[in-house]
Amino acid sequence: MRVSAAAVGRFCRRKPLGAAGGLIVVGLVLLALFADRIAPYDFDETIAGARMRPPSARFWMGTDNLGRDVWTRVVFGARVSMTVGFGAVLLGTALATVIGVTSGYVAGGYDTVVQRIVDAWQSFPFLIIVLSLMAVLGPGRLNVILALGVAGAAGASRVIRSATVAVIGNPYVEGARALGCGHLRILARHVLPNVAAPIIILATIGLGSAILAESALSFLGFGVPPPYPSWGGMLSGSGRSYMYQAPWMALWPGAAISLAVYGFNMLGDALRDVLDPRLRGTTGGPIR
Amino acid sequence: MADVSSPRGSTAEVSGYVLHRLCVAIPSLLIASFIVFALPRLIPGDVVQLMLEEQASGRNLDDLRATLGLDRPLAIQYVEWLGRVARGDLGESLWTKRPVLGELARRLPVSLELGLLAICFSVAIALPVGILAAVRQDTVADYMARSAAILGLSVPGYWVATLVIVLPAIWWGWSPAPGWVDFRANPGGHLAQFVLPALILGVASAAALMRMTRAMLLEVLRQDYVRTAWSKGLRERAVVLRHGMANAIIPVVTILGLHVAQLFGGTVIFETIFGLPGMGLFLFDAISQRDYPVIQGANLLIVAVVVATNLLVDLLYAVVDPRIRY
Amino acid sequence: MPISRRDVLKLGGTAVAVGAARDLLAPRAVAAQAPRRGGVFRIAGFEPQGFDPQQTLSYRSLTVLSMTHSRLVRVKAGPAVRPGTTPLEPDLAESWSQPGDTTYVFRLRRGVRWHPRPPVNGRELTADDVKYSYERFLTVAGNPARSLLDPLEKIEVLDRYTVRFTLKEPFAWFLDVLASTSMLIVPREAVETYGDLKKAEACVGTGPWMLERHEPGVRVTLTRHPEYFLSGLPYADGVEVAVERDPASRFAAFLAGRYDFGPEYAMVLRRLDLDVARQRKPGLQTAEFVLPTMNMTWMKLDQKPFDDLRVRRAMAIATNWRDLVAANAWAHGHGVPNPAIPAAFQEWSIPLAELPPEGRRLYEYDPAEAKRLLAEAGYPTGFTTPVETTAGYASDYMDGVQAQLQNWKAAGIETELRLKEYGAFLATTLAGKFEKVALGLFSWTEPDSYLYRLYVPGQPSNVGGVNDAKLTEMIGLERRTFDARRRREILWDTQRYLSQKAYYLYGPSFSVVVAWDASVRNFAPNIGHDYGGRLVAAWLDR
Repeated sequence: MRVSAAAVGRFCRRKPLGAAGGLIVVGLVLLALFADRIAPYDFDETIAGARMRPPSARFWMGTDNLGRDVWTRVVFGARVSMTVGFGAVLLGTALATVIGVTSGYVAGGYDTVVQRIVDAWQSFPFLIIVLSLMAVLGPGRLNVILALGVAGAAGASRVIRSATVAVIGNPYVEGARALGCGHLRILARHVLPNVAAPIIILATIGLGSAILAESALSFLGFGVPPPYPSWGGMLSGSGRSYMYQAPWMALWPGAAISLAVYGFNMLGDALRDVLDPRLRGTTGGPIR
Repeated sequence: MADVSSPRGSTAEVSGYVLHRLCVAIPSLLIASFIVFALPRLIPGDVVQLMLEEQASGRNLDDLRATLGLDRPLAIQYVEWLGRVARGDLGESLWTKRPVLGELARRLPVSLELGLLAICFSVAIALPVGILAAVRQDTVADYMARSAAILGLSVPGYWVATLVIVLPAIWWGWSPAPGWVDFRANPGGHLAQFVLPALILGVASAAALMRMTRAMLLEVLRQDYVRTAWSKGLRERAVVLRHGMANAIIPVVTILGLHVAQLFGGTVIFETIFGLPGMGLFLFDAISQRDYPVIQGANLLIVAVVVATNLLVDLLYAVVDPRIRY
Repeated sequence: MPISRRDVLKLGGTAVAVGAARDLLAPRAVAAQAPRRGGVFRIAGFEPQGFDPQQTLSYRSLTVLSMTHSRLVRVKAGPAVRPGTTPLEPDLAESWSQPGDTTYVFRLRRGVRWHPRPPVNGRELTADDVKYSYERFLTVAGNPARSLLDPLEKIEVLDRYTVRFTLKEPFAWFLDVLASTSMLIVPREAVETYGDLKKAEACVGTGPWMLERHEPGVRVTLTRHPEYFLSGLPYADGVEVAVERDPASRFAAFLAGRYDFGPEYAMVLRRLDLDVARQRKPGLQTAEFVLPTMNMTWMKLDQKPFDDLRVRRAMAIATNWRDLVAANAWAHGHGVPNPAIPAAFQEWSIPLAELPPEGRRLYEYDPAEAKRLLAEAGYPTGFTTPVETTAGYASDYMDGVQAQLQNWKAAGIETELRLKEYGAFLATTLAGKFEKVALGLFSWTEPDSYLYRLYVPGQPSNVGGVNDAKLTEMIGLERRTFDARRRREILWDTQRYLSQKAYYLYGPSFSVVVAWDASVRNFAPNIGHDYGGRLVAAWLDR
């Protein structure tokens, strides 16, 4: 699977929605990276005499009940969301890949035991695992990443394991083994490239889920703690309290969450359409 | 792994399969029970310290621990708990002394009703939208359908719920959550209180389902002879659709099965906002208060239900598709 | 009446705003109408954590139990009582005397009947019941309120209706403590039958309403006690306490007319929502209070740099209490600064103007002065410190914390916020296990607790490690001084002294609005969890 400029161009033309999603993602990442250049104020800076101001030329998205600029906090919130999202997905994907690939490749007793543990782990509702882990670890940005990553790994590992198993059945791989290729070589050259597609898709969609999960955690009091602004925290905290009197406090972070999740999901959807072998070759166009 | 040679549907086959799956489920349940016992005890601050607050020191702590039976070695507590579970006794809440099983029996139906209604809404939205998107692949209708589905899951549910509850109250002095209505008191009102939260939940989970439906249908529709048949007319189209949907059943059921697990924990927020006394909130409170028997009992029940559901789904697979049996 | 710190912002306070004494009474409340019997009070309440008043300090349980149980004396209720003051009146005891410094004799009312519920079945309450109940209070395992009766030595039954309490030492606040909702009298038979009183079936008392049904997570239904000892009362047939978890839903339900009282603790309505509420509910009656709950900053006084008084003063001067008050939705800009005894206790709290100049200075926001003090103490560029607190109080609380930390930052004090989950916070930080600085809420209903618990060496809340002999002596003295005027003088002196020492820093208290429906009569709010006392003589005009 090689990515070239031409391929990207084809992708944009064939999957405009996915391309739009990709644009949103890129935009958010840039926002996150250059937050301190883009935002006019500090994220915890209170501007004297500017409590609960509606959006204006000076404060593009208004100010909150502490007198902080909402646009600034949304921009820095992008940084927090991206950090939490990418962190959780990285951790989760890494864990899932290790578990899934080894389980599928090694098979036998190891596979059985690991799969039983994954079964057990997956029987718990996602939010309950995350809440329990957060209760044990305590609030904190890193802990949110840990909890979300670990909780999300189980389901993903299943998909990766299936893909691994499918690859191993491939005569190519059997041949390589017969030739005496080392395990690591086989993993690197045959298994991983073929497992890459589901990983990418899972990761992209997982980013959307991570952002939503963080916002749900914020509602329950376990989200990313202050002083860092998180969209979920802004939406579920004072945003909700002041919903009627100062709707802009919740409107913008809510829109940001929706936009981000939308973007990641559209991109992931499109990537799946392109990369999932089952759907490859589906001719486009409606059926008349 | 896949046994292609066996004939389809023989009772011995199926029951053998069920037995196999059950045997596989038991170690999972045991592992789950261990997680369920150990995890809450890792949370800093144990229940006795919470109960005594300021007085939590020295003799007070020891006395209370002894009264609650928490002073014995953990291994013994675990084994004893397992033994009681085997006899159907899930213990009592440490804070209210109410039997855990009784409480769960009251709360489980609430979560189930919410979840099932949410699934109904989800299916009702996802199927037509998925069919439309597949049939009109890559047209504006397809894009709009997919966009709408994703938008449905992008907006945090609790936000929509808050708007739906607070705005009508401010504007018209009316609020949808009337305070919990029991089924026996008022069946209509009882069901009505689930409609809004189930709708919001359903919309959010419709996206995944819609995606799956669309993909499955596309797989069927891409074959040339099918496309030919499609162009012949309505009757043929109906046949094609039926065939496509039959193909989609299995993956759809899989996804629904996965959703069942989310039913219980994921509804915490909606139970809070709409005042529904369900499992999610029960468990969440128990975690905050370190009510170990409740945490253990509720978690175990959830796991058991999920395992049972998965078993059911697998069974469905086995009956429907003879290739999937191992 | 003690209020657990856990009861945060929800702690009912009823003191009038300091300074301009705003009138608390609703325009029509003092009508000369004849009270009407009937109707059910509908309250937005909380899920009780068990029904045993001797196993909890939580407002969640005590608000309900105050409606089903009684104690020897109680705080007077009604529109004639100024909120924040706690005049006592007889409850189960019809009169009492104090023969000596350490002895109290109570004469009980005759004909007080327990609820006609098994296993007590409506028999008469006697002195034995009182003795039993207090002895259980002192001995039962798991009573977080036990330290309230530390000074009590023994209880004796003199005859069927007379009890004598003997204390180890004179304790001027004893009667106030007895009026607390933690001192509810419980029946022996219920304890013996059920083992403890956590279950709803064991909830049998002598209060105006009986527990009819508890639907966990949904509501608590109370119905009139047919033989309540105050004849003719209660007017309302019953009380329905609905358990509603989410503040937004509670408010929506309140607007939709589902509750007769404000939807938050102590019938408070968020000031932020007041305008909307008035529009939707014409005739809404309101009153204003200052809650005794105050934000506190605790420091480890044996650690640098907090061992230096100048640093502590700098931290106080760097904090703009008005910012905290403005950031809070309940207060919405209305609040008062607190000396060592919260301003909510009008009779005992010292007005800021009476403090010595250095003490007054602490409440005047001046980041430049703070920087100067820090430089003088050897920290010209400020310093960095970890700060521990919890988000589990309420989302409003974290706004206040952020406002405070922002204030400090402007003076050069950088902070590293370490949040703990609520239960963990209670078990560790509030128990004294924190590194340098902790922020939290503190709330009790008798003023003495703000001194005794925080400053006497060995007390669990003395987390900073204060050991000041002069201070300890002053506190001991006020606890022994019965004459109210003299006691007040000592308390004022103590507060002056503390303002100069600045061992801990005191944040503001919020002035909140309490609301009740136009149809509710003869109701007025006050400090504490005593919902029962405030509702027993109220009635519904509809």
